[in-house]
Amino acid sequence: MRRLIATLAGLTLGLSVVPALAKDYLVTVTKPNKLYVVDASARKVDKECTLDFNLIPGVIAMSPDGTIAYILANRWGDVFGIDLESCETVFSAHQSSGDVRRKTVASLAISKDGKEIYTIRNPVKLLADRYEIMEPEFAVYDATAGLNAEPVKTFPAPRRMTVMATGDNGMVYAAGHEIYQIDPKSGAFTVKIPNKSWDRPTYSGPDVLAFWPIGSQADEFLLLYSAAKFTDASQQELADFVWGYESVDLSTGASEIEDFASFEVIMFSAARNPQNKDELFGVYTQLSKHDVATKELIKRVDLPHTYYVVNVSSDGKEVYVAGTNSDIGVYDSETLERIGEINLPSGGDMAAATLQVIQRGS
Amino acid sequence: MKHLKPLNQKADRVVKAVETDQMDEVRAMQTVVAGCTSTLDPGWEVDPFGGVASLCQPMEADLYGCSDPCWWPAQVPDTINSYPDWNADEASAPKDWRSLGTVFPSDNET
Repeated sequence: MRRLIATLAGLTLGLSVVPALAKDYLVTVTKPNKLYVVDASARKVDKECTLDFNLIPGVIAMSPDGTIAYILANRWGDVFGIDLESCETVFSAHQSSGDVRRKTVASLAISKDGKEIYTIRNPVKLLADRYEIMEPEFAVYDATAGLNAEPVKTFPAPRRMTVMATGDNGMVYAAGHEIYQIDPKSGAFTVKIPNKSWDRPTYSGPDVLAFWPIGSQADEFLLLYSAAKFTDASQQELADFVWGYESVDLSTGASEIEDFASFEVIMFSAARNPQNKDELFGVYTQLSKHDVATKELIKRVDLPHTYYVVNVSSDGKEVYVAGTNSDIGVYDSETLERIGEINLPSGGDMAAATLQVIQRGS
Repeated sequence: MKHLKPLNQKADRVVKAVETDQMDEVRAMQTVVAGCTSTLDPGWEVDPFGGVASLCQPMEADLYGCSDPCWWPAQVPDTINSYPDWNADEASAPKDWRSLGTVFPSDNET
């Protein structure tokens, strides 16, 4: 039950089909108020948009056609859709109202047809002498609703939900205590991958940092976990401390959860090579390349400074590291040699912002 | 336990748990891991290996990534609710950290 191993060969089918003239562009935001579209191969900023809202935290989900960047902003409160050609705000949702404050902790996703926007909102009623914590809610917005959109539907949601992604089957996958599958039509939550409740008697509970919704290049919803592994179910003697990944294939809906390495360095986020899903790149103060099939560390290099977020080019040849400061590092996916750098002109920090990769015709 | 004296509230509760045979409910921290504030992780003081080499390098790279999500509000001002403009004029933590101030609750908040 807990190890639903998908056929890796099947997972990569279709992902290598990139339009011949399409180029990769990187999308991210920096303080104080800039959104950048970067020509990845030219290492140049293609578009700089000045935004009129606070970028915290800068979680970005792209429309499926790559034309609109949806940004969770205004200190975890609001969602803005920015047209990357015109820099115009084409969608906004201000989630708080009256005495109810609603924050979204990175839970932002767009349906595969681009018609719906999903968030999970955590409402708190601000009373005169206390806060009244209300039930979290899964909210469905119409992407064509324009500015000041209100949800067309809301459903009760579990607490402590973070990042989300959508599948071709219309389902939404979300990280919380468990990896949930959400049916946005009915609001039904089901456990897709047991996480907190995983059936691993010789393991501690998993620790999952779920903040960067970056799996779109490999068409998957992927999170890392770390856990203590014991010699037996009594959990008295530590055998190892491990890294693993849990993933939902966004095309097929197949899921997998598997250890792949000992816990030797911290990794804040990871992404797999869209051309070879055995290759997983994890980032923090080092960039690590793992083979998840053989469970071997292929290579690890030190970075000039810590980066939070990693992504991979569509042809699988380049790895991008970003977040924290204002530079994006470019690495050769084969050698992990630093082959380029893009300094974002504002000089402001990306901090915890997302780095997305999109394809556009040249 | 007679030779040990609890020094904080949690330790005091552990002592009470021993006395009331409730130690099964006590869950020690298995490791010092990178986690959120609610787990009372030491944060910037120590890394998962008990040292400091695996903390963010340099710490300025981590500063706004911690204040934006209110990750360690005891160490970094809460820019979500309480001090939203703490770093409004300092877009780059590595360059501007000298301009960042300390925050204190105002009289009407205490």
